[in-house]
Amino acid sequence: MTVVRHRLRSILTLTYLNGVLPIRSQPLYLINLVASPLSFLFFITIASGGVLFNYAVAGGMLMTMLSIGTSLQTDISHYKQDLKLQDVLIASPVEAWVYVGGMAFSELVYSLPAMGVFAALWVFGGWGSPAGAITLVGVLVLVWAFASALGFTLATFFEDVRETFVFSPLISLGLSVLPPVYYPIGALDPRLQPFAYLSPTTYAADLLHGVVGAPGPSFFGAVIDWVVLIGFTVGLLALAARKARWREP
Amino acid sequence: MTGPAIEARGLGKIYPRGKAVALSDVNLSIPAGIVFGLIGRNGAGKTTFVRIAATQLMPSSGTLTVLGGDVLRDVGDIRARIAAVPQESRPLYFVTVDELVYLYLRTRGMEAPEARRRTDAVLEELDLAAVRKKQVSRLSGGMRRRAMVAMVLASDAEILFLDEPTTGLDPLARREVWGAIRRAREEHRTVLLTTHYLDEAEALSSRLALLENGRVRLEGTPDEIRGRIRRPFRVTVQGVLGRDEIAAYGDVTDIEGGFLVFAREPDARELALRALSKGARVSMGPVTLEDIFLQVVGRPLDSGEPTGADA
Repeated sequence: MTVVRHRLRSILTLTYLNGVLPIRSQPLYLINLVASPLSFLFFITIASGGVLFNYAVAGGMLMTMLSIGTSLQTDISHYKQDLKLQDVLIASPVEAWVYVGGMAFSELVYSLPAMGVFAALWVFGGWGSPAGAITLVGVLVLVWAFASALGFTLATFFEDVRETFVFSPLISLGLSVLPPVYYPIGALDPRLQPFAYLSPTTYAADLLHGVVGAPGPSFFGAVIDWVVLIGFTVGLLALAARKARWREP
Repeated sequence: MTGPAIEARGLGKIYPRGKAVALSDVNLSIPAGIVFGLIGRNGAGKTTFVRIAATQLMPSSGTLTVLGGDVLRDVGDIRARIAAVPQESRPLYFVTVDELVYLYLRTRGMEAPEARRRTDAVLEELDLAAVRKKQVSRLSGGMRRRAMVAMVLASDAEILFLDEPTTGLDPLARREVWGAIRRAREEHRTVLLTTHYLDEAEALSSRLALLENGRVRLEGTPDEIRGRIRRPFRVTVQGVLGRDEIAAYGDVTDIEGGFLVFAREPDARELALRALSKGARVSMGPVTLEDIFLQVVGRPLDSGEPTGADA
């Protein structure tokens, strides 16, 4: 019990350290994760004459959670390479999963303004329901978890924080812009649709489309979406646990 | 504890990239409760040794035990009892000095009242109480390093790894950090200090090891190390005497305006008297660590020539 309490204390402290204190010195950090999803929401809504507004809301939520992974990647890389914080924490009782847990929770703080906007749009869009809320939270938690695992794993391999500037846009492109996150999969050329299913966010978006008033998956389709999403998340967490470089070889 | 705090047997490290040999057959026993200085040039292997002992880096061969635990098998137990300030580490710029120390202790899992008590105590003792509410980004380099050392000093760690804690600091700032390290010494905690400032190693360390090209070249107390030197006295002679006239007394090195001679005591005394009688400017005394380094390694610490493969 004491051990669990220690771990929890470490996670909460890291959350406060990286999620609250920086905002005190630079409040503009809070709008960091709002900008891109809201920009997409704006353009897609305008360009589609409002038809894809609900898709843009679902896409915005997913993109916000994915951005946590890329922000985490940058923060962890910066702390490791520039400040040597990772080495400070390795030589302490803090374990890798505690560190990444604390950092991942801290990034959630930055997502609050964006998630607040999208949650408000979801409710005021008339799509809100208890079942929908459960799906929404479940999907977003899974996306947050795998994005954090991916961000951490990559960051531990980087030798310079600038490498994150290359990977972050690629991750964003591959997981939130190209796959049918902001648009229905039917809008894709049929020859390209199979490729879309390589991205876990396609399954996440499929589930979310069902709770924002767009055509959602069938029962079996939803089961497949959940299985793939959970499997991918567990796989990435396992990969992070095995392959992330906490102690260097 | 009764055994050594850190013990290396045949320790080796080859970095996977480039196959660079950083440590080779290192045997070292570091007693508990002292400041142990690891000295050597940049690239001699000091940081590699510290990083392996602090469980940040895997060894390639040999064994290393820390507080009786093996760095490969007993990582969790070791990590609960150590703390480190890595080389070139910097504090998060947006925290205050107080938050830096307090939140570090909380991250280590310490209860709030205990963390508060230790934070207050360490800031008082290291003269940081006046700046406790200042953001670390607004502190001088010396104060920042001192705050980093305060952070680990406030912990309950039994071994502190301080990797070049004063590199790049001015002499005044270095002495500020020395004060913090002396506090750890007074508490009888084990400190593994790496430095390439020999005066620092001599001022702070009870025992020293000299690393060169990833190998331990000398180990012992500063006096023991001096005792192992073939020519334990240094004489500087400026003016009048030529190299040929003094070469018979010992090992001669050129210095500005004269020569530095390492000699045995009778030869040093005779040379000093002879030079004085001829009107030369003379100084004589026991060799410094810098001199020992020069004798062992064959070139001064700051000659800039690379030696080991990495860190």
